[in-house]
Amino acid sequence: MTLATFIAKNALRNKRRAALSILSVAVSLFLLVTLLVALRELTVPPEDIGAALRIVVRNKISIATPLPGRQRAIIEKIKGVEAVSPFSFFGGKYGAEENMTFAQFAMDPHLLTNIFGEAKLPMEQYRAFLADQRACVVGQITADKYKFKIGDRLPLTSSFYPNPIELKIAGIYAGSIDDRNVLFHHKFLEEAENTGGVAGTWWVKARSAEDMPRVLEAINKAFANTSSEVRAETERAFQLSFVSMWGNIKLLVNSICTVVVFTLLLVSASTMSMAIRERFRELAVLKALGFRRHELFAFILAESFGLAGLGALVGVGGAWLLYTQVSISKMTNGIFITFDPTPRIIGLALLVAAGLGIVASIAPSIAVARMSVVNGLKTLD
Amino acid sequence: MAAPHIVNIRELSKVYQQGEIDVTALHNISLDIAASEFLTLMGPSGSGKSTLLHIIAGIDRPTSGSCRVQGIDLTQLGESDLAGWRNQNVGFVFQTFNLIPVLTAFENVELPLLLTGLSGRRRREQVNTALELVGLADRARHLPRQLSGGQEQRVAIARALVTDPGLVMADEPTGNLDSHSAQEVLGILQALSQNAGKTVIMVTHDPKAAAFGTRSIHLEKGELSRET
Ligand SMILES: Nc1ncnc2c1ncn2[C@@H]1O[C@H](COP(=O)(O)OP(=O)(O)O)[C@@H](O)[C@H]1O
Ligand SMILES: [Mg+2]
Repeated sequence: MTLATFIAKNALRNKRRAALSILSVAVSLFLLVTLLVALRELTVPPEDIGAALRIVVRNKISIATPLPGRQRAIIEKIKGVEAVSPFSFFGGKYGAEENMTFAQFAMDPHLLTNIFGEAKLPMEQYRAFLADQRACVVGQITADKYKFKIGDRLPLTSSFYPNPIELKIAGIYAGSIDDRNVLFHHKFLEEAENTGGVAGTWWVKARSAEDMPRVLEAINKAFANTSSEVRAETERAFQLSFVSMWGNIKLLVNSICTVVVFTLLLVSASTMSMAIRERFRELAVLKALGFRRHELFAFILAESFGLAGLGALVGVGGAWLLYTQVSISKMTNGIFITFDPTPRIIGLALLVAAGLGIVASIAPSIAVARMSVVNGLKTLD
Repeated sequence: MAAPHIVNIRELSKVYQQGEIDVTALHNISLDIAASEFLTLMGPSGSGKSTLLHIIAGIDRPTSGSCRVQGIDLTQLGESDLAGWRNQNVGFVFQTFNLIPVLTAFENVELPLLLTGLSGRRRREQVNTALELVGLADRARHLPRQLSGGQEQRVAIARALVTDPGLVMADEPTGNLDSHSAQEVLGILQALSQNAGKTVIMVTHDPKAAAFGTRSIHLEKGELSRET
């Protein structure tokens, strides 16, 4: 027998309790990882590779205030700008559905491959998209969800444009960070809704990353003191401005995480205390046999650490496996596009487990240190 | 010819404080114990027998006076040194056996050796020797609950012997045993002092058990009353 087997035999002597405490640690850590990943996904939106070069221009007043069409030509002339596409949110409900389940954007189809290069589709589909002003392309996730085929009709009713429209599916794209959207001709939107050429936003592609700061500044300046002042920002900053609305959710999730960790501490600490109290007499016997205080601490710590560690293995390991092996975007119906248990989050959860192991062993260690052999021997089993 | 004394106790007192009241468990005890003696401590319940045994075994400390074992004054040793001293010099046998229930007989006996730094092979040899000595070599793989009370107590004696200590202490070792098992246990303790040269100190209520010893001292209300 080694000390390790002795510790293991002690830890597993009450198998049901050991299993329950491992399970409670596992479930809580699984929950913690899930919450942390969800929080991260909500507050740090995923990025396309091309996002570093993309600029979103919107009306300074609000995102809902449109921009006049003449701005496009002005932006195109700015040095360092490669392409500009209008990008307008249609906000349509599909068919007879109650809610909007996927977003539709009108844009310049000729710039699809240039500005939104991550979205890939077969060449003949792209050609069909360009050729027909009523055509649209649908993201893979939405196409799968509704079993759309090429040639299907897509009737949409917007809550802020007066006229319902009907699009024809010319292609299905995939490979963008969010393969849910429907993209269609801005020209078609302008004609169908008599918009007079306004656009919701301008999406600009810069020539290089070095050009970005200058281009941003130039766009903002170009419309200063006009009737439609703009705010140009990187795609990432633009996305984050939506996300700041999630501030309260972040607070909520953080509070839940804190409660989970705290409860976990209480549960583990009391389990460990119980496990040690039951063995008080035996620990006194060990002392009588010549085991020193620090050796008994080591036993308690090892047992506590072992249980927390096994819990972490099951809970954190399980979460990691699940979120790396299973398509979360499918499982959550596209609510989460990615669900990435980052090394930081895994590390944090393991740290919590380690802290748990230590904290849970403090009270029993103090009790054992205080116990005199003679009094310990008097404890009844 | 008198054998050299292994234990020297001088004016030893132990007072427990229970709230306001002081309980005197031992009062002014002076006692010498010779090497390889089989000493029995007798006396009514509450007379201080266990307390005296605990102090000699280094698991309790006197309030005043001195207790020297093999020339070492136990009152001068720190907590950690005292633990190390116990591991090497004392084997303790309890009334209620106090085996670790999740460990086999073999593992229970091996426990004190985990502190010694002996190799696994040496430990196995010593454990087997100790188990043979108490006649339980064939029960090495049994758990305590698979043993009878008498067998459990013999495993506990093997555990007390495995480090080859000079002193073996037993606090009412036959108190929970039937008379047949008690005879076996007492026989082993007697053999330890007669054949193996161990100093055995045993607390008992039972005059028949005390008859196995070479000397018997009686305690009464914390004081030595008589010697037989
Ligand atoms: N931890 C303690 N606290 C207070 N009093 C104690 C303690 N241990 C023993 N005593 C008292 O000391 C006296 C002697 O006890 P003990 O040595 O156990 O007696 P014996 O073993 O002869 O029955 C008793 O009066 C007992 O109540
Ligand atoms: Mg007693």
